[in-house]
Amino acid sequence: MNLKEWQEAFYKGIFDPTQENIQHACHGVNGTENLSSEDRLGIYRGSILGGITSGLTGIFPVCEKLVGEQYFTQMVSGYLKQYPSGSPDLGNYGEHLPAYISEFEPAKELVYLPDVAQLEWLWHTAFNATDINELSSLPFRPVSELAAIQPEDQALIQFCLNPSASLMQSNFPVHQIWGVNQEDFEGEQTVNLDDGGVNLIVWRSQDFGMRIDVLNDDELKFLTAIQKGKLFADIAGMTFSLPISELLPPYIQMGLIAGFNLGKQ
Amino acid sequence: MSSYKFKGHEIQGAGLGLRSSHYQEIFDTKPDVPWFELLSDNYMSDGGLPIIRAEKIREDYPVTLHGVGMSLGSTDPLNTDYLSKLKALTDRIEPTYVSDHIAWVSVGGKYTHDLLPLPYTEETLHHISDRISQVQEFLGRKILVENPSSYMTFDSTDMTEAEFIKGITQRTDCDLLLDINNIYVSAVNHDFDPYEYLKGIPSDRVKEIHLAGYEKMDNYLFDTHGYQVHPPVWDLYRAALKQFGAIPTLIEWDTDVPSFTTLRQEAKKAEQQLKAFS
Repeated sequence: MNLKEWQEAFYKGIFDPTQENIQHACHGVNGTENLSSEDRLGIYRGSILGGITSGLTGIFPVCEKLVGEQYFTQMVSGYLKQYPSGSPDLGNYGEHLPAYISEFEPAKELVYLPDVAQLEWLWHTAFNATDINELSSLPFRPVSELAAIQPEDQALIQFCLNPSASLMQSNFPVHQIWGVNQEDFEGEQTVNLDDGGVNLIVWRSQDFGMRIDVLNDDELKFLTAIQKGKLFADIAGMTFSLPISELLPPYIQMGLIAGFNLGKQ
Repeated sequence: MSSYKFKGHEIQGAGLGLRSSHYQEIFDTKPDVPWFELLSDNYMSDGGLPIIRAEKIREDYPVTLHGVGMSLGSTDPLNTDYLSKLKALTDRIEPTYVSDHIAWVSVGGKYTHDLLPLPYTEETLHHISDRISQVQEFLGRKILVENPSSYMTFDSTDMTEAEFIKGITQRTDCDLLLDINNIYVSAVNHDFDPYEYLKGIPSDRVKEIHLAGYEKMDNYLFDTHGYQVHPPVWDLYRAALKQFGAIPTLIEWDTDVPSFTTLRQEAKKAEQQLKAFS
């Protein structure tokens, strides 16, 4: 077995520890009286799974709190087998955990758990998203240049959301579940699942303030259209309960709409 | 042109590993710490708070960058995306040293996020040396490589770890980050004499030392970085300082991270040892 073959065998012996895979991974590994080669592979398995579980606990602390450490560890172990980590940065790992949880049979009764995981992932990505000031070239023009747009070009404006922003919809009050499980939460701990679904936007403002804002259906529709890059003319043709002249300015003011481009007709 | 007060050429004394739970205290009190070591992998996002904080630290202190993502011993191609980000980070932070481990982390593009062992053979020596040279060329600077702690040896191994490390320095001209705790942990786990190990290390290559606390398990020592430095590691550290001189030393404490005060007390112990050998 050359080095590459052994490294592949080792990986399988860690993440898919069937007896055959373990034996293969232990090929050429020295065992001693106190520690067999399988024991030694087991030390690495514990270290690897422990490290990754700890990383994911950091990204999904509410999920871990809701299901408990043991259950979370078990879930992570299955997740790792199905969705290997493809980046040297452990902070990039976990994007597919919400999808995995939704298929994870033992978690079926916790119907809201995949959405809680999704909210935590969006929080994590917003926290680490590129700061607009750090971009060497902005992917859009700043809103301050809006005034310079000729009236005949206004229909072609495509507004752009802050790069940290993500929209999500849930059939459950996940923002409340998330909120009551924060360390600094004070108040009524109970969440009534019958409170129903919610539309959310998760983002980070210019002063590094992390935000989870609740949106009504109109606001979600409006911001989704913007996120999809629809032209202002098309958005103006959509029906909202408020006129666009009232919907738009607050988002620009708070920095959620961070810039614009001019699209093509 | 660097705008930093401390240019990235020399560090000395006992530095501290920068951990997020200590940021605020450091910003508020500007403690008298000779240098900080940043885990490079934590600062590679395109933006966000981490890199802003790193730059803020760098304004007041020299820093070193220490990573686990190079996967120098892997049989995968080098991850040039990772190396590009690391290069951008080094351009921005201007660290005194950039280091990673004599280990592999990934195979088939899949990452384990752990430092895994290598058989010490001529084939592996050739392989890892070639990759270290490529990394140094890519980054346009020398790197430091660190000896790992390990729980596994191989029947194909035909040289000691010290011989392997010496071979790497000869072939690549890289420098060394010697982790004294790792030497001790591996020495107990694989029943070799850690003092003999030290004698095999080329003295002129050691630029930085790491100290950390292991955990004693039933049949082996486990390198958790979650404790104070244990007495036999301090003993081995003194032998290392006697051999290599007052090499800049870092206390690593990654799990169950203590208060900043406790961490500084641990660093002061290293500082006292360093003074005796400077």
